[in-house]
Amino acid sequence: MTIAMLVEDMLTELGHQVIDLAMRLPYAAELARTAAFDLAILDINLDGRKSFPVADILKERGIPFIFATGYGAAGLDAAYVGYPVLTKPFLVQDLGAAIAGLGLDGCRDDARHSTSPGHPNP
Amino acid sequence: MVAPQEQQTESLVFPAGGGETGELIRNFDWSKTPLGPLSGWPQSLKTVTNMLLLSPVPIVLLWGEDGIMIYNDAYSGFAGSRHPQLLGSKVREGWAEIADFNDNVMKVGLAGGTLAYENQQLTLFRRGKPEPVWMNLDYSPVVDESGRPRGVIAIVVETTQEVLGQQKLRQSEQRFRALTEATSDIVYRMSPHWTEIRQLDGRGFLTDVASPSTAWQEEYLLPEDRPVLQQVIDEAVRSKSVFQHEHRVRRTDGTIGWIFSRAVPILDDQGEIVEWFGAASDVTERRRNEEYLRLVVHELNHRVKNNLAMTQAIAAQTFRNVTDLKEAQARFSGRMVALGQANDLLTGERWVGASLLGAIRQAIHPHCPEEHRCETGGQDVKLSPKTALALTLAAHELATNALKYGAWSDETGKVVVSCSTYKDSDGNERIRIEWRESGGPPVLPPQRRGFGSTLIERGLTREMGGEVKMDFQPDGLVCIVDAPESPYAKG
Repeated sequence: MTIAMLVEDMLTELGHQVIDLAMRLPYAAELARTAAFDLAILDINLDGRKSFPVADILKERGIPFIFATGYGAAGLDAAYVGYPVLTKPFLVQDLGAAIAGLGLDGCRDDARHSTSPGHPNP
Repeated sequence: MVAPQEQQTESLVFPAGGGETGELIRNFDWSKTPLGPLSGWPQSLKTVTNMLLLSPVPIVLLWGEDGIMIYNDAYSGFAGSRHPQLLGSKVREGWAEIADFNDNVMKVGLAGGTLAYENQQLTLFRRGKPEPVWMNLDYSPVVDESGRPRGVIAIVVETTQEVLGQQKLRQSEQRFRALTEATSDIVYRMSPHWTEIRQLDGRGFLTDVASPSTAWQEEYLLPEDRPVLQQVIDEAVRSKSVFQHEHRVRRTDGTIGWIFSRAVPILDDQGEIVEWFGAASDVTERRRNEEYLRLVVHELNHRVKNNLAMTQAIAAQTFRNVTDLKEAQARFSGRMVALGQANDLLTGERWVGASLLGAIRQAIHPHCPEEHRCETGGQDVKLSPKTALALTLAAHELATNALKYGAWSDETGKVVVSCSTYKDSDGNERIRIEWRESGGPPVLPPQRRGFGSTLIERGLTREMGGEVKMDFQPDGLVCIVDAPESPYAKG
């Protein structure tokens, strides 16, 4: 949860607006399915459960996302090898670079919808 | 032609030929034996003597009641150092060590009977010491001119080497059998190209193979493992060297295990593989431990990274907008200690989860000025590791605030923490945690939100999926957490 708050602050600092935080899989999946946002930061381990089902939903909806994990890129499911990964701990600049790497249109300038469904750790 | 002359001369020479023993017989003084001089021997005796001397098989003739010994070169080889003393001696005296045996031979033979022994063992003195000797012995009576048995002829074929060889082989087989029975390893035999398993003793781990089978790969192996195993087999067959491989197997009970398997080729005289002999040990437990260790290391790495990220988050919050750096450092240290204690708590519980009351007590106890000014009680529940960490940090913040501004900042105030569970109107289990300060200095709502408040209001709320209310009453802070018992009730 502290890490989620840190990421929230980092995103705010980068000029994004955080629409919500999900600490666990069911709520993260619900947000991924129904909320309006244009970016997700997705922790792989949500209270002991892997968040790949959430990634599946985001992929289906065409919403870009960045994995954040203590496992590093080695912890990725085969289906998500090559997707952007931030290895904890990371800096606000790393997060900024990862978001920039997604090539979102005017996301930062407009300081609009950004979200982080799934930042699970306390 | 000189033939008649020669025939005449030859007929005078007796016995004719017969090698070294023939020569000895011709020169022997037979007059000192019951047989008398050669010239007086009956024709039947002369005929048999000539016959045996021309034979390559060891033959001895025992003539008369005494069994006077007449034998050939082949027999002299068998007799060893007992030759030539044996020649012309009485058989019961010549082979004194087996006199009883020969006594029976003489009695049976002279009565017209025959005797046959296969691999008969007798102890003979042939090189100055007793040694076991094995022989095939065939005895037949020899009749004289009157048709009565006058002697016994014996064909003696020594089989000592064969018998000892077979004994060795048998012992070797016994040792081999003992070894395969003593070992806890699985033992198997394979055809030269491993197409067929000839035998397998599975020790209850793998299914035994009693008769050759070609379906062993289907029986024991997992389809996806077969190509690699086949490569190892092909290489071992090609190089005729040791096969060695660790692989998965389908066990007798249907589960999947691991074996470490080694086999050596057995080669014939031409250097071609006759079969493979192998042994395999069950390494399932070791593989399981290795896999477990790998997971543990992976998980530990994850937790270390998470702890670092939490440290980073706490530092970011603690040092945001600070005016008093020294105080901020002290706060940061306190938070690190709380984080460390939360880790201890979870390690003690093997990271399965922790008790709610335990987490709170551990977090606030170090700050409590006196035992009686800190009460915790009520209904305990089990928390997930993640929730326990969050609650520990939140409780740490409440405790440090109490010490600095609240109930523990004077001499009398106290903190009561009570937990309870109840069912809401929908029948769902909920937890209620109440932190109540009283008896301290008059309370004023804080000017700005510090990390503690942020952590509780922004973090714990979402972590537990419930509501947190912080009420700065004049008598003291009251903080109430109300959340579903299962955090999954609301993400």
